[in-house]
Amino acid sequence: MTIPRDDDPDGKTAAPPTTRRGLLTATAGVLGIGVAATVLGPVAVMLGQPLRHDATEGEGDFIPAGPRSLFAGDKPVKVDLYADRVDAWNRVVQVKVGSAWVLAQGGTLVALSTVCPHLGCGIDYVPEESKFYCACHKSYFAIDGAVETGPSPRGMDALELQDDGQLVSIRYRRFKIGKKTQEPA
Amino acid sequence: MSARDFLEERLGLASAWRGFVDRPWPGGPALRHAVFAALVYLFVQQALLGIALTTYYSPSASDAWASTAYLNDQVGMGWLVRGMHDHGASVFVVVATLHVVALAVSRAYVRPRELMWFAALAILGLALALGLTGNPLPWDEKGYWAIQVELGIAEQTPGGSIIRRLVQGGSAAGNLTLLRLFALHAFVLPMVVAALLVFVARQRRRHGPAPAGAARAGSYGDGQLLLDAIAMTVTAAVVLGLTVHDHGSELFAPADPTSGFQARPEWYFLFLYKLRHYFEGPLEPIATMVIPGAAVTFLLAAPVLEKLAGKLGRIAVLGGLAIMLAGSLALTAMAMADDRKDESYQKSLVEANKLAERARALAKTGVHPQGGGAVYWNDPEYKVKQLYIEHCRNCHALEGFGGGEAPELTDYSSRAWLSALIRNPNDERFFGKTKHDTMEPYGSDKLSDEQLAATVEYVVSLMEPEQTLDAALVAKGAALWKDELDCNTCHEIDPGKDNEGPNLAGHGTLAWVERVIRDSSKADLFGSKAQMPKFQGKLSDEEIAALSAFVVARRSPPAE
Ligand code: FES
Repeated sequence: MTIPRDDDPDGKTAAPPTTRRGLLTATAGVLGIGVAATVLGPVAVMLGQPLRHDATEGEGDFIPAGPRSLFAGDKPVKVDLYADRVDAWNRVVQVKVGSAWVLAQGGTLVALSTVCPHLGCGIDYVPEESKFYCACHKSYFAIDGAVETGPSPRGMDALELQDDGQLVSIRYRRFKIGKKTQEPA
Repeated sequence: MSARDFLEERLGLASAWRGFVDRPWPGGPALRHAVFAALVYLFVQQALLGIALTTYYSPSASDAWASTAYLNDQVGMGWLVRGMHDHGASVFVVVATLHVVALAVSRAYVRPRELMWFAALAILGLALALGLTGNPLPWDEKGYWAIQVELGIAEQTPGGSIIRRLVQGGSAAGNLTLLRLFALHAFVLPMVVAALLVFVARQRRRHGPAPAGAARAGSYGDGQLLLDAIAMTVTAAVVLGLTVHDHGSELFAPADPTSGFQARPEWYFLFLYKLRHYFEGPLEPIATMVIPGAAVTFLLAAPVLEKLAGKLGRIAVLGGLAIMLAGSLALTAMAMADDRKDESYQKSLVEANKLAERARALAKTGVHPQGGGAVYWNDPEYKVKQLYIEHCRNCHALEGFGGGEAPELTDYSSRAWLSALIRNPNDERFFGKTKHDTMEPYGSDKLSDEQLAATVEYVVSLMEPEQTLDAALVAKGAALWKDELDCNTCHEIDPGKDNEGPNLAGHGTLAWVERVIRDSSKADLFGSKAQMPKFQGKLSDEEIAALSAFVVARRSPPAE
């Protein structure tokens, strides 16, 4: 390190000024980069946490949707699904995690997510036309969930359903929106 | 035109840099001029770390602790970021102090640098204010109690109750308190500090960092630049080193307004804390206001002092500053030494750390939105304790609470408990308030202490055969049971048989207690006189099992 001495204030004897100046500046720059890394490194790791771990849990288990008798009719029934959920630092007991349309298809019950595969709005049922309809950008779905018209790239997402004759449970999941095929979110 | 020229024409960064590096640096490079660089670095570091923390921290009374515990214990490197921010605050106070000292030593408080001097003093004050507003944010025991004490001190100043209400956002600490502290800590104070730092930088540019003796040629880039970089690096290394050494920064249990947490201020306030000890009662404001106020006034008057008294004034300024620093250091050291010697404080600290560890472990499964204190709900024992309080404690006392109607369950069915029961079953502690009044007391006139011990040993042997028993005593007790005391006229000991008193086969075991909770009026238990509600059907099987385990666990293990 060359710092001008009292007897050589301009550092002329140490090195030609430009080289010397360049050296000093470069050293300072290296130190600066090192210092920045000690701060920005941990900050980046911290901010990147959601790429490595999910902050919410609570989807994936079968959630009781209601007694079998609730779904005896021939119209789709909308059920809200409640489950315990971990949201970052909170654990919340029995919050609404989502909802589904439940209907009988050929004697067996199926559940269709209410999340529109286009951009995620809520899908409604239009009893007069026996169709599902997403009002956000006007997607129509047939009673079996297949797209009929509108921008939705795929049919409504089917959810796993358990029916033991007494109780109906649904495994609630979310899928990526805007994709032709179903992919877990 | 190259891209470089294109940018240069618009931004002029290169020429700005050249102007920065080539500016004249009259006194030549000096370490004391590098303190400002360390200060600027710390500010930027704190700002970056602070912004990172805001992406996880939630300033509400119900979320603050849980979100801090989450970012500290569950987010990758969160402990490091939070630890560096916390230690950085300490170092900021130190460096802001050094900055004042450096200016004093360089005589950079006299004309024309008076404003620079005032700004340096203000930055030091703001560094303390940043600590004051930042430390309560985790809403842990330490933070919560620190702000309580500090607001208490503020309240004693003239107009203090208004300050307290404004800072606290009302008459009690809560959501508004945290939001106000957060707004001050994250927005208001940093903006003022930033403005002051810019101001000092411009002053340095205008007047030079300090009066130069024999003016020397040379520019900033000739040496001061590197010295500044070194000062920044050392500062960063100290912050990182302290953080790693301490494994981040402490986080106590969630704030509990009913706890007896022994609050201590952050180390850089310890000198004021200690000073207060010398001025009790009505004199307290001397320590909290008069002395600090006088010190600040003295420092603010430095430029005038030297103008009025010349050389003597300079000696006064440097001497006064030295006395203040030495005094603060001495008081800090004394406060620390006091705490080290203070057994009650050390004990409470150990307890507080234990509780913190437990709370933070429980927080890993998520904290109920009710608030930081709800973290204890995650404790399995907490749930069963709530069940006990709800369903049992009104009649069965436990550890000094509730009861009075039915046998106390503290130390349930231990040798001591059984001995006391046999001596006087009609005591209020046992069956005194129930309808079970047929068992006669066995006072020491009827039953010697040794005989009692033998009887109890026999009764214990009926409980769980695998217990460590004194076989000789059991045999002696068995004889007493049958012959002398005629216990067997009321108490059966073969499973299933019923009689006046409860069948004692396996009494006090999990299974037995479970049966009692389900229905104590079974013929082989307490029979038709039983008043205890039947919990069969009222509580779930798991709840009954948990409660039995809880009751059985109240029995202390036999003394060695
Ligand atoms: S979100 Fe349903 S159609 Fe666009």
